[in-house]
Amino acid sequence: MVPAASLRNAWVKFGQFTAIQDISLEIEAGAFYSILGPSGCGKSTLLRLVSDLIPPASGDVSIFGKTTEAARLAREFAFVFQDAALLPWRTALENVELPLEMGRSRGIQIPVSDKSPMELLELVGLKGREHALPHELSGGMRQRVAIARALVCKPKLLLMDEPFGALDEMTRDHLNLQLLKVWEETGVTILFVTHSIPEAVFLGQKVLMLKAHPGRLHEIVDIDLPYPRTTEVRDTAEFTRYSAYLRKLLEAC
Amino acid sequence: MTAVDETLGMPMDDDAAEKALARRARLTAVATPVLTAIGLIATWEIGVRAFGVPSYIAPSPSEVATTLVTEFPQLMRNFWPTLFESVLGFVVGNVAAVLIAVAFVHSRMVERAFFPIAVFINTIPILAIAPILVLIFGAGLTAKVVIAALICFFPTLVNMVRGLQSVSPQALELARILSATKSEVFWKIRLPSSLPFLFSALKIAATTCVIGAIVGEWVGADVGLGALIIDATFNFRSALLYATVFLSSGLSVLMFAAVSIAERMIVRW
Ligand SMILES: Nc1ncnc2c1ncn2[C@@H]1O[C@H](COP(=O)(O)OP(=O)(O)O)[C@@H](O)[C@H]1O
Ligand SMILES: [Mg+2]
Repeated sequence: MVPAASLRNAWVKFGQFTAIQDISLEIEAGAFYSILGPSGCGKSTLLRLVSDLIPPASGDVSIFGKTTEAARLAREFAFVFQDAALLPWRTALENVELPLEMGRSRGIQIPVSDKSPMELLELVGLKGREHALPHELSGGMRQRVAIARALVCKPKLLLMDEPFGALDEMTRDHLNLQLLKVWEETGVTILFVTHSIPEAVFLGQKVLMLKAHPGRLHEIVDIDLPYPRTTEVRDTAEFTRYSAYLRKLLEAC
Repeated sequence: MTAVDETLGMPMDDDAAEKALARRARLTAVATPVLTAIGLIATWEIGVRAFGVPSYIAPSPSEVATTLVTEFPQLMRNFWPTLFESVLGFVVGNVAAVLIAVAFVHSRMVERAFFPIAVFINTIPILAIAPILVLIFGAGLTAKVVIAALICFFPTLVNMVRGLQSVSPQALELARILSATKSEVFWKIRLPSSLPFLFSALKIAATTCVIGAIVGEWVGADVGLGALIIDATFNFRSALLYATVFLSSGLSVLMFAAVSIAERMIVRW
């Protein structure tokens, strides 16, 4: 099977500064990856590299066998930012529809999800709030709109940069469960950056641990916990074991 | 049963009490300035009468009010041209400012070339440039519209440039991921996000354009509120002068209210 994303000896530099040093990595299609690492180690840079926002200084990045640019034009991936990045003058529904309007005049083929924007909002639990403006929604609700917006073009790869980092723990737990549901229903590949070890273990099939100064891949940890995962999984001995292991890795970084 | 009724009744009473409180607060907010104004006007009336101030130096409010009524046709004859010049100047000045702001944001070169000139023009006092413009465009409508437009131009230019640049970096990254074209980014992201900035500039322009039109009429005109002000001053018709000034500020308030209503309808976020 073609990997969802493949990096070969990829480097990223900002001037003299090396943000990512020689990462080689294959992202298995359909899988859920959590990305952990000390702050400033290049997690966001890695997602921005994959999403064609910044070019590699050297090396190769491909998405489903295509260049990142071709994948961008084909809408094969979508991005969810830490602050939802909604347009404040558009309602929840209109924000979800934005990707269907953008890029049109460039003449690109825009894939459309089998689910309508309305149904996507329902999928993320926002039925009834379709016509609310972002400032009328809570932080958690705004983030859910952003997720629905990311799904509207039926992406095969979903890049999420600390999407729940600014939310309180209860909301975050709830959204984690909802995200797993979305993942199971859509079969999308997910790269999920977080700074929370429990969140990384709870969500991911694999955890990519990055190292700082310069940013590089440290270790890939398989999380062998069965899906569908429920909140109780957090109380198991294995969960604790994985968390403890990742904490040690993180401290060693 | 009674217990339930009581507990259900409690929040309702609380609600009603809260609403009454809010209503009182609103009433106080409106009543305070109104009462102050009435008080000041009354003091003025009493002062003018008590000290026997001659009417040509300072007319009493009642005199001004009477003049407003008796001279109403003449006032209106001069009101419409000023309104027309103000609105036209408002439209011309702001449209020009918006278009140039778009050009500035679009091209650093254009901004570097023209921004210093815009700043320079803005530093010339409008009273100093008005005669020059009347010389260039003649005593007709054009000069007044140009002066009104000029006075609107700079605040709108500066605010609009800021507004167009106020887009969050993440919104721009999103646009890039969606492979949006420059024009899509402009129409769907930059322009809407500039609207709150634009409207704060338009509210300034709504009152300054009236000043521009009146200053233009001072320099050379035989109709308009500005011309009437000059005329009334030189003929010692103080009550008429005051009534004209009152009408001029009424015109500003009208323009300001119109822009505010438009803002409330358009900028809902
Ligand atoms: N546009 C940029 N210009 C210069 N340096 C940058 C830029 N973006 C990121 N960096 C640097 O690259 C490193 C990695 O940043 P980032 O990927 O944001 O880290 P993380 O998301 O893991 O916290 C940091 O040291 C940061 O200062
Ligand atoms: Mg980051």
